[in-house]
Amino acid sequence: MHMDISGSEEIEASRQRLWEGLNDPDVLTKCIPGCRKMTETAPDAYDVELELKVAAVGGSFNGTVALTHKRPPEYCRITVSGEGSLGTGTGTAEFTIVETGPETCRLDYSGEGEIGGLVAGVGQRILKSVAKHLTKQFFKDLRKHFDETRQDAGAS
Amino acid sequence: MTDQQRRFVSTNRRVREDRRFVAGAGRYVADLDMPGTLHVALVASTAPAARILGIDASEALAMEGVVDVLTGEELSAAVTPLMNGLDTPLVRRFPLAVGQIRYAGEWVAAVVAESRALAEDAAEKVRVRTEALPFVIDAEAALEPDATPVHPEHGSNLLLDRTFDWGPVAEDFAAAEERLSLRVTWGRNSTVPIETFGVIARWNPWEEMLDVWASIQMPKYADQIARALKLPGNAVRVHYDVDVGGSYGVKRGIKHTVLVAYLARKLGRPVRLIEDRLENMRAGDAQGPERIFDIDVAFDRDGTVRSMKMRALDNAGAYAGRAPFQLGKPIGAIVGPYRIGSVQYRAMSVTTNKAVQEAVRGFGQAPTNYAIETMMDRVAAHLGIDRLELRRRNLIRAEEFPYTIPSGSTYDSGDYHTVIDKVLAHADYEALKAERDRLRAEGLCAGIGIAACLEPSGGNSSFEPLLNEKNRTSTWMEGSRVTIDALGFVTVAIHTTSSGQGHETLAATVVGEELGIDPDRIRVTRPDSLSSLPGNSPVGSRMAIMLGGAAARAARNLKRQLVAIGAHAMGIDPDTASYEAGTITAPDGRSIGWDELVDIGHRRFHDLPSGTNPGLTASFIQQVPTGVALPKDGKVQMYPCYSFEFHLVLMAFDPVLAKPEIRRYVIGHDCGTVINPHIVRGMTLGGIAHGIGAALLEEFTYDEGGQLMTQSFLDYLMPSSHEVPSVEIVHHCTPSPLTEFGQKGSGESGYLGAPAAISGAVQDALSPWGVTVDKLPLRMSTISDTIADAETAA
Repeated sequence: MHMDISGSEEIEASRQRLWEGLNDPDVLTKCIPGCRKMTETAPDAYDVELELKVAAVGGSFNGTVALTHKRPPEYCRITVSGEGSLGTGTGTAEFTIVETGPETCRLDYSGEGEIGGLVAGVGQRILKSVAKHLTKQFFKDLRKHFDETRQDAGAS
Repeated sequence: MTDQQRRFVSTNRRVREDRRFVAGAGRYVADLDMPGTLHVALVASTAPAARILGIDASEALAMEGVVDVLTGEELSAAVTPLMNGLDTPLVRRFPLAVGQIRYAGEWVAAVVAESRALAEDAAEKVRVRTEALPFVIDAEAALEPDATPVHPEHGSNLLLDRTFDWGPVAEDFAAAEERLSLRVTWGRNSTVPIETFGVIARWNPWEEMLDVWASIQMPKYADQIARALKLPGNAVRVHYDVDVGGSYGVKRGIKHTVLVAYLARKLGRPVRLIEDRLENMRAGDAQGPERIFDIDVAFDRDGTVRSMKMRALDNAGAYAGRAPFQLGKPIGAIVGPYRIGSVQYRAMSVTTNKAVQEAVRGFGQAPTNYAIETMMDRVAAHLGIDRLELRRRNLIRAEEFPYTIPSGSTYDSGDYHTVIDKVLAHADYEALKAERDRLRAEGLCAGIGIAACLEPSGGNSSFEPLLNEKNRTSTWMEGSRVTIDALGFVTVAIHTTSSGQGHETLAATVVGEELGIDPDRIRVTRPDSLSSLPGNSPVGSRMAIMLGGAAARAARNLKRQLVAIGAHAMGIDPDTASYEAGTITAPDGRSIGWDELVDIGHRRFHDLPSGTNPGLTASFIQQVPTGVALPKDGKVQMYPCYSFEFHLVLMAFDPVLAKPEIRRYVIGHDCGTVINPHIVRGMTLGGIAHGIGAALLEEFTYDEGGQLMTQSFLDYLMPSSHEVPSVEIVHHCTPSPLTEFGQKGSGESGYLGAPAAISGAVQDALSPWGVTVDKLPLRMSTISDTIADAETAA
């Protein structure tokens, strides 16, 4: 089934720091919900392992992530594809980082994907809200990451 | 034999099977505990069509308790393709996908482990590398010249395209005063039993015997297993003493069985596969007909329907199986209960990338009845004639039976006008109409639906030779054996599994009737397939006629033996002796009782009449009444007996919410002589509930990406006690002249007319807006959107 997702998030971090964070596998592993492991296989290409629960269905998802069309520190396109016991998924999204202040910026994102298998069949009626929830979770953890690094920086 | 003379048939007797079911003491396949059993979980395809590039099972095989991972490549090298009904040899089907995936959910590999849980965990670790292929979901799109064939070797998606011309169709159309066209669509629903399909297979290498226990309802099951595994027929033993938790056609797990049978032989241990709900819904290969009907009808202004052209396009799913035959069976009642003089029927079946279609209650008759009844409603609306009046003018009259319809089938008996009159009197039709109008005045949508439908019964398989000339089947027999043991007790053997039809009650009742013995004292057994007489299982609403006939006639043969023994002992002509409740009486009043007859039969050969075998047993193999000839010129006698049902429904709903509510449901039912009234009542009530599901709720919906959207009961909506109203049954009996007691079939009753009637009621409720609904299931959203659109347009 087809899915669209888009939104905007204000982040308390400079454009440069957000860009660096979004390109850092360690940060992403920490912030992507259910992400177990993210391994760089080539420049801007990663293998990811996820463990997720959608509705009554839980399971694994193994995939690849590629970052393309990069214009640091403001624009990037991201392609995800993979499969697992949860089903299959492919998608592309693009994000733009807009500077809104010296230590703040806004991330605009929009993307679309195609979902198949178990999640599509069983979880479809809540898939959109789950996707929203997972996105929210991602940004919550991302903000937490910047809060922590800011505090670390303040403490040192 | 008249009703008055019957002691047990048609009387208010308990259904003997109910006791063990109600007490929770049924014995289902999942209850069987076999030491050393291995369990199977399936790796399901996520894509609707893909080429299989590779299957990596190494991680799964390394897991605890995992014994084997089987792929289609290995399996297809060892077994023959599963049976095709049609002559389409290049549409090959194996239990696991071979090289190519053809629907989302299709089994790609089977994981065998020490427990089901371990097998499921390991199934998640099997990596299937695929390359996506184009796919097609819609039946009409599958017909397009540029559509991707689901089976490239077959060359196109067309499995069947056959046009029958019965009677002077062109002349009748030319002569008719009016004609109209309509299209109606029957959505893909099914029967969805609470018990999913399950099977256990065990191979004994020292006996060279494959034992099978399964939740099965399938003709020639053992034969198909043996053929697929290339085993001698007498090396497969199916155990029929397994209770089946619901079926109505769909419990035909031949692919499951071939899979576990192969594994049991390979691994030397019993192997069990019990579908979970998801496996059952998406890949049990048990979804029902999905059909688009295009109809042209020619009629006169007085309402006489002269001729009909019907094209039925059926979406068979990814493999052929027996599904296309569900276009064939309705040929036996293609004009419904009406005197339509000529018919053109075009039956088309196409493959698509959906799950495989299987037989469902009525074998295609319910969709066809829905199409015919909608057509009759449209004709009435076109002419401004009352729907009931239009039907009355076209119904076959009682004195016209036996009545031969254009497609060559002869209806045995019926009295349709009387059944309808009884229903109208019971329901007070005028008051019902007043109630509808009162509801309308309150601002609700309210409508009355009617449907007059046939249930062909006593199933043969005449559609097989009709649609596949290589098939020469002209018998679909059923056997039974009755034995009196040396202590004088009676045992009846039946040779099939049952899925709620009450065959034990049926057999005991008719044998009790023939022998004049209380049926509760008669034992009914189910020998395994190798100890059984030939039979064809309970399909095609046939067992009251076929098993009832076989058991009754075996009992009658046995009674003849008893009479001969008694007459010989008294030195009288057997023709002058009378039999009553186990006692033989001579014209002069002397008599010989049961114990003495049994003693002679079992111990005293010297007292037997010459030419009589010792031991008291008799078998009978019943041929389907009327089923003797192969089709000729596209005509054939389909099923022998025709039950009739007349539905009258009042529905009401809010024009904005549009949640259909059934306010009154009355059905008139005539299935000839009823053997057990509780069984027939249960069938009818369940059939109506099933029909409500088909009309309003149930559908296997695929999205544009080829994914099944209704894989669980969260999305596949089943009628519950909230949706099923109390139903009033008006009984009528027109005996069949072709059967032992005048009985006809009732295993599909209710379901064959309920969707048509409910659709008609919704249509009537929408009549103030002048809009039509023409697709089942009729969802709330469709109804409210239709009303909203009409309001906007107005």
